[in-house]
Amino acid sequence: MNLAIDIQSVHKHFGRKVAVHDLTLSIPRGELFAFLGPNGAGKTTTIKMICGLLHPQRGTIDVCGHRMGLNGLAGKAKLAYVPDQPFLYDKLTAREFLLFVGEMYRVPAADQKRIIGELADRLVMGDFLDKLTESYSHGMKQKVVLSAALMHDPEVLIIDEPMVGLDPRTVRVVKDLFRERVNQGRTVFMSTHTLGVAEAVADRIGILNHGQLVCLGTMAELRAQAAAEHSLEDIFLELTHPELQSNGGPGIETVPADKPLAEGDSHVVES
Amino acid sequence: MSSSPDTSVAILHSPVGVLSLVRVKAVALRNRVSQAIADSPIKFLTTMALLGVVWVGLYLLFIAVFMFLKQSRMEAAIAIPMVFSFFFVAMLVMLTVSNAIIAYTSLFAVEEAAYLLSSPVPPRAYVWLKYFETLIFSSWSLVLLGLPLMFAMADVNSDAVGYYYLFFISFFICFVPIPGAAGLVLAWLIARFLDRNLRRRLIIIAALVLAGSLIWAIQSVTAQDAASDQWLTNFLLRINFVQSALLPSSWVVKGVEAAIESQTTLALSYLAVTVANAMFLSLIAVRIVSLKFMSAFDRALSSRGGERSTEASPAVGLASKVFFYLPLGQRLIAAKDLRTFFRDPIQWTQLVVLFGLMALYLVNVPKLSGAKPLEGWGMVIPFLNFGALSFILATFTSRFVFPLVSLEGQQLWLIGMLPLSAWQILVAKFAFAMTVSTCVAFSTTVLAVIMLKMPLDWAVLQVAVTVATCFGLCGFAVGIGARLPMFEQRNAARIANGFGGTVNLVISVMLVLTMLSGMGAVGYHNRMRGFDEALDGPTILIVGVMIAVALVGGFAAMAIGARHLRRAEI
Repeated sequence: MNLAIDIQSVHKHFGRKVAVHDLTLSIPRGELFAFLGPNGAGKTTTIKMICGLLHPQRGTIDVCGHRMGLNGLAGKAKLAYVPDQPFLYDKLTAREFLLFVGEMYRVPAADQKRIIGELADRLVMGDFLDKLTESYSHGMKQKVVLSAALMHDPEVLIIDEPMVGLDPRTVRVVKDLFRERVNQGRTVFMSTHTLGVAEAVADRIGILNHGQLVCLGTMAELRAQAAAEHSLEDIFLELTHPELQSNGGPGIETVPADKPLAEGDSHVVES
Repeated sequence: MSSSPDTSVAILHSPVGVLSLVRVKAVALRNRVSQAIADSPIKFLTTMALLGVVWVGLYLLFIAVFMFLKQSRMEAAIAIPMVFSFFFVAMLVMLTVSNAIIAYTSLFAVEEAAYLLSSPVPPRAYVWLKYFETLIFSSWSLVLLGLPLMFAMADVNSDAVGYYYLFFISFFICFVPIPGAAGLVLAWLIARFLDRNLRRRLIIIAALVLAGSLIWAIQSVTAQDAASDQWLTNFLLRINFVQSALLPSSWVVKGVEAAIESQTTLALSYLAVTVANAMFLSLIAVRIVSLKFMSAFDRALSSRGGERSTEASPAVGLASKVFFYLPLGQRLIAAKDLRTFFRDPIQWTQLVVLFGLMALYLVNVPKLSGAKPLEGWGMVIPFLNFGALSFILATFTSRFVFPLVSLEGQQLWLIGMLPLSAWQILVAKFAFAMTVSTCVAFSTTVLAVIMLKMPLDWAVLQVAVTVATCFGLCGFAVGIGARLPMFEQRNAARIANGFGGTVNLVISVMLVLTMLSGMGAVGYHNRMRGFDEALDGPTILIVGVMIAVALVGGFAAMAIGARHLRRAEI
């Protein structure tokens, strides 16, 4: 099995609100996937289901061949999740937190110090590594949680809004890191509103709207669908907010929503 | 970055244990304590000193109670075990409820849960961690209240020997997990099986049942003359259930009694029963909760994600109109705070429960006292009413009004950006606090003076002093809240429990004690001159000074707070 994430016909609702509807999506190993969608589209719900925090009412999710269910420990060992609001223990230093994460993921003690040193150099964390995290800015926290996610070299890195609060230099470093990981055969699943980043680094892009996958493909495939040299922003707005694209939009042809998107498809569906 | 070896196999063979999680919490605690000592030693020492004052105060109070009870050997033989039984039964119930509340919030409502549970931390390790944390958070009150009780018990009892202290500490430690386990399972059941709407309905039903039971209990206790022997016999028979051998509290009480009487074997056997039950119940509770924990977590998260309608209720509509006298900007802030108050059941239910109990007691006052107004007990009862009311108000303002300014610090637009001065913002906060507290205090006081059939002059005096106390307490809470804010903290309870909150609570209690002293002076003066329905000059003077103290104190605190807020860098 060569799939990092395999989502099959997943459905999740909160009371009467449908958060994710009949979602099927397969992410192969060694891919950088960008997951886009307007606020409330169901992106974070999907991510939480992949991480085993929420459970779908219908459908299945596998991570590296391990079913994410009520006991998804094997899958969780293969992935790392960086939420949009970075979580850190206020009264720990970054170093103490990273050592704790290393211990949780059973990283050998000798490797822990080496990895922390490498990440601190790369993400420029040396100045604050031994200060309590309560004094950190959002960007500093983001660097620490990203480092924590990389401590055990996960097969799948799931990251919600990776670039928020980071300075331009760190954004560049993070982009390079993602690309390196993908080149090593790891998978990065990134949810973002920063369309420029998605356009620049993603191998494939999926757009979710009202809990349904309305678009899936590489940037070139999406452009081909749009039949013009339109930006990802234009394509995104056409699919999610067509009223804003009254003149000069990409004019994407949509297909009925009840026709499921199959693996390898690169088209859009009516939402 | 060079990669680390694949560790997923190691994780599955040897999953993260609770000890790893406890260790990281211990490191965080160590950092917290050293930071508190290094950054603000005076704050740390003041907190410790205040804790010491509370502890010594409780110890002296319990000594006085036990000495009083010991005056009559026969009564002491019945009453002291009853006091103990009551104490531990009350602890059993209170700890079960507080454990359930704390367990629910720490198991399901924190970012830490999402972080740890997306890592390969087995649910059982996570549940054990949260169980330990809950026990510690919920049982500090037992330690604060219980240790002085037990020390006092030993000190008034000459038979107690050295190892008695070891025994009661052991009993405390072993008793706490029993209600803790019940609370843990209760929290899990709520998350697993009750959705938001059902939960609300259940809370309302439970509150009604509780209120009904209280009315029944008070009416049955007050049905007869409280001074008669028959009343005492009936009362003791009614509350005999607290000494039932099936209750864990009874094992502790009997064990402690045996330790006092140097019956070591008997004390040890009760301790063994308590330990065995505590361990068994803890294991069972954690096992049950862990097995289906992820589905409960999913349900708890899902019920938060649902769309919730917040259609304007009459109470919320009222919030827009009640502050008509304020300029627009301040009116909007005060109305926003009042809406938040109505939409936060934690705030209004606590106030409703406390004042509901107060009202229930007031309705029964005539049955209890049997005295005429302003004569004997008739003079003492308004004094006690005022004391109870003021302490409830002080609790409300310290817990809910004090954090208001700090919480606004998170929304920089309000304190930093809105075209309102610091003073105007504080006045808006004060208007909200004063409106809520005066509404409940005024209605409770009016009910009290009606039930006591107080003469009009005295009724007006009582109401004026109550409103002035409200003014002082609200002024202190808003003013000190602005002078000693915690802008970095998002949790209102932690803000209230911080240094500023403690200072505010102490100053509020001092104001209440000052007002009570004034009321006491009025009572003493009128007793000396023979009770008269008309108010004389000294009475009016004392009351005037009391009102002035409350008004000036509240105003000064607001002024100091506004001055600090103007200069604050958020």
